[in-house]
Amino acid sequence: MTISFKQIEEKLKTEAKRLLESGQVSVVLAYGKGYDEKHPMPYVARNPSDVANIVFNEYCNYNMARYLVRYPAGTKIAVAVKAADSRAVIQLIQEEKVKREDLVLLGIPVYGMKNPKTQEIIDGKTTGGLYNPVLYDILLGDEVHGQAIQLPYDVLAAYESMDKEVRFAFWKKEFDKCIRCYACRKACPMCYCDPCFIDQNKPKWGDKSPKFHGNLMYHLTRFHHLAGRCIDCGECSRACPVDIPLYLFHKKVARECEEMFGQAAGMSIEDKPALVNFRVDDSDKILE
Amino acid sequence: MSFEPKILGIACNWCTYTGADLAGTTRLQYPQNLRVVRVMCSSRINPSFIFRAFQLGADGVLIGGCHPGDCHYNTGNLYARRRLAVTKKILEFSGLEPGRFRVEWISASEGNKFSEVVTEFTAQIKSLGPQTKFKISQ
Repeated sequence: MTISFKQIEEKLKTEAKRLLESGQVSVVLAYGKGYDEKHPMPYVARNPSDVANIVFNEYCNYNMARYLVRYPAGTKIAVAVKAADSRAVIQLIQEEKVKREDLVLLGIPVYGMKNPKTQEIIDGKTTGGLYNPVLYDILLGDEVHGQAIQLPYDVLAAYESMDKEVRFAFWKKEFDKCIRCYACRKACPMCYCDPCFIDQNKPKWGDKSPKFHGNLMYHLTRFHHLAGRCIDCGECSRACPVDIPLYLFHKKVARECEEMFGQAAGMSIEDKPALVNFRVDDSDKILE
Repeated sequence: MSFEPKILGIACNWCTYTGADLAGTTRLQYPQNLRVVRVMCSSRINPSFIFRAFQLGADGVLIGGCHPGDCHYNTGNLYARRRLAVTKKILEFSGLEPGRFRVEWISASEGNKFSEVVTEFTAQIKSLGPQTKFKISQ
């Protein structure tokens, strides 16, 4: 079975048109034309006439849940979500940043998305390894079944078995590259703090110039802030202009959280985010 | 000259800090490498404090809180437990020696335990040597 991107695009257009015309939503978040086919852009349709600009192809890997928090509370929004994006929406609902009743989720079951930079297929290695949206109102296309599930955490094994000195050298090399453009923060659906801790001057948490120690402070704290919330869409590492494999660290933290607290981020609206919750019978072993 | 580590201790006001006080009033001996900062609750500790401490030259960080279930604010240390467990995993995966960070539950009546933990932790940090990975080099 292959995915017909054209078919999804058509369905996306019909649904967007219907929702905007009926006044059910005032904004549709989807994908639009970029400067070429390989670089589609996030697109906001506000009028039924905008719908013609919506596109969908294998390079549409942006996480549109990123833009939900930018609209005032109560705005009715329809958003196109792939598997990881729907988890981001669930996580935002858990954190009460958006309300379920304000959203219409246009679920896109899809695999074989490509990274425009490297042409590699985005699979379980760089994302959560899901193909069907976890939560949706309207599913555009049939659910994907029978596709080999690639375990999202397998890629970690090589890094976990590294000696700590080697691992530190690896991260030092990676963080040294960081130019502090904050593209990871901008691409991340869960990064909505205003101001971000790194932009604060009182207290000044870390150096703002792109030097190793400031970069380390920024990234480690960001990993911590996303602990139990990262939904593994991999957008941070694709947005990164210097190709820091941020998804590796996020995956590691996500796996530890899943093992310690028994819940993965963004899988159910009823859950509470792992770090603003506790169980009295949490084991002290997690601190060892 | 032998290596004398700098250890940051962050202690909760109601249990560990009082426990440290008890260790002092009962004249228990423990190494002077620990610099204690008092916070009102172990859940007051922002994980960035710990990263920052390592950057500013701490060789080890010891965190003390009430035993789970005994928190003055009922649930503070239960949140802290989850949060600090994640901090520990992050420090470990970034390549810092895992032994440099430790969380201990020490109640107000456990002056003995406080001095034992500090003695043991200081010895451990001494064997690990100076922390240079995170430290901002001048």
